[in-house]
Amino acid sequence: MNMLNSILYDTIYYSTPIVLCTIGGLLSYNANVVNIGLEGMMLMGAFSSALFSLLTGNIFLGILIGVVLTFLLGLIFSFLSINLKSNFIITGFGVNILVAALSEFVLQYMQVANINLNSVVNVNHLKIHIPLVENIPILGKLLSGHPFMTYFTIAMVFVVNLILYHTRFGLYVRVVGENEDSARSVGINVNRVRYAAILIGAVLSALAGANLSVERMALFTNNMTAGRGFIALAAFYCGKGKPLNSVLYAVIFGLAQALATNLSLNAGAASGLFGAVPYVVMVIVLAAVSVTKQRGKLTRGTGIG
Amino acid sequence: MEKKKLKHYLRETLSTLLPILAALVVGGFVILAIGENPITTYGVLLQKSLFTYSGLMKTLHYAGPLILTGLAIAVAFKANIYNMAVEGAAVLGGFSAAVVGFSLHGVSAPVHIFLCLLTGILAGVLYTAIPAFLKAYLNVDEMVVTLMLNYALVIVLQYFTEGGALKDPKAGYVSTYSVSPDAMFQKLFNSDLTPFFFISIIIFIFFWFVFKKSKLGYEITAMGNNPAFSEASGMNVRRKIILIMLISGALSGLAGGGFMLSEKYRYTLDFSGDPGLGWEGMLIALVGRKDPVGILIASIFFAALNTGSDYVDMFTNVPKNIVGVLQGIIILFVSFRAADAKFGISAKLRDKFGKSPKDAPAEGKAA
Repeated sequence: MNMLNSILYDTIYYSTPIVLCTIGGLLSYNANVVNIGLEGMMLMGAFSSALFSLLTGNIFLGILIGVVLTFLLGLIFSFLSINLKSNFIITGFGVNILVAALSEFVLQYMQVANINLNSVVNVNHLKIHIPLVENIPILGKLLSGHPFMTYFTIAMVFVVNLILYHTRFGLYVRVVGENEDSARSVGINVNRVRYAAILIGAVLSALAGANLSVERMALFTNNMTAGRGFIALAAFYCGKGKPLNSVLYAVIFGLAQALATNLSLNAGAASGLFGAVPYVVMVIVLAAVSVTKQRGKLTRGTGIG
Repeated sequence: MEKKKLKHYLRETLSTLLPILAALVVGGFVILAIGENPITTYGVLLQKSLFTYSGLMKTLHYAGPLILTGLAIAVAFKANIYNMAVEGAAVLGGFSAAVVGFSLHGVSAPVHIFLCLLTGILAGVLYTAIPAFLKAYLNVDEMVVTLMLNYALVIVLQYFTEGGALKDPKAGYVSTYSVSPDAMFQKLFNSDLTPFFFISIIIFIFFWFVFKKSKLGYEITAMGNNPAFSEASGMNVRRKIILIMLISGALSGLAGGGFMLSEKYRYTLDFSGDPGLGWEGMLIALVGRKDPVGILIASIFFAALNTGSDYVDMFTNVPKNIVGVLQGIIILFVSFRAADAKFGISAKLRDKFGKSPKDAPAEGKAA
């Protein structure tokens, strides 16, 4: 029972940043721009919100600055890939490598191994316990005791779903993704739609990163996103860019990680291997989805620049 | 005709150098931001790594594995296959070479080295076979799969390094045993250079012929330009995908194995460095425009940055990771350079709103 509770809680815990990044990234995916830079944008959010939380002594201000800086990074990515028509796959990898290097550079300059926020924030105080709900067995563990970003993420899943299917902007995004020329011919500003889609993704990725570093652990370490941006990519790719489906795949990864973490506690010597399980699960899911849909190709340019 | 060719080369060279110069400028502002002098820093970076005997030899020594991972990425990217398993295959190649290096005894030094490298190559091939078959037969996207596998691999190797039969209990840090002395490449000319550099050069010359003269080289380019047409013209694209990815894996495994026997000697968690042999290979393939000679020059340049970064750490107050920052900026500039080569930056900026973005892939092919 205890283990089940803990697996349920951890599933939500591990899924949160990936789901947030997934729904952020799928907007631009629907507009036919695959954002490989999600990983770097999440890392930028984690790094800069931790850094500025430490410098300002205020996590809200820190996260706000983190979001603004990641937004600027999103602008650079958009400018290169939309205005300068770069190969956005390569641009995305550039973003990832640049952010990883930049954060290491700053840590080296500060002569610290990581950014510790324990003096600024106590993560236990950030957990929101919902009265009444927290006493319900099983459901209480699932829904109560999470930090703000988790509840924000759940809300955003529905908001993004609403945006994509029930607003004019969402319609534009889908039309641009479906057929750029017809989008242009009916007077849609294709570039502006893509900018907006990418920038929303950047902001949500930044918040996902802030959840990782500030809210969950009060700590930033080098490369702490550990491929979560790529997993988000795999999730909305498996879910064909549909928000609810894509989120499901993101949660599969969260579940795999929760299972791996909890089961490894009893696994003795082999416990170190469990960390690899979620990534392997994602490979199997990708293969399975590809077999069933037989349309397994990311939309991308034909040449590598 | 001659003049046209000259102009072509001039433009190629210029568009290769521009992103690097631009990155140095942007990186200069980063150095200024922490209150240091960019000119001094770059001076140390390049002078120590290229214009001193020991520095230059060290640079060439570092270039060895980078030439191979650069080729590994180029051979796949040229065929429009995003094989990011190069990083993982290099790491696994290094790990496997180390295991053979410390567990095998009673063979002569050249045989031992040969067996280590062969194991590294096989490991790279087997590792890359997973995404290769998934892509060829199930049409699974190779880029996402290889990225996932790399993360999984690093965790698995960490497991073997942190405990069990391969861990060296005497090392003060997490590490496998060190390879036995007869599996180590000997240093040459009183420098860091080892015979592995010359092995890399021989492989490089071989691939120059493959790219420029062979049927396979032609087919790779054709696949990259138009896979549907290649298929229609009777090429077995499925088998070619597997072949290309396995070649890429073999090159990566050799790179990792050679790096192990000539530099690291034992597997540690930071074996591949920052950002990693495979990622640097991507950088090199892109800056070198997937052309063999370009890759050779780019390998030496990025190896010089690696060598220089140690000296930057020693002689200035700038953290050595400024080199990583430069690499990241270079990729950003390189990602749209293909278009610049054709139109020049000013023309590009002028008509940036006038043209449809779907032209971009066609321009990308020119790279």
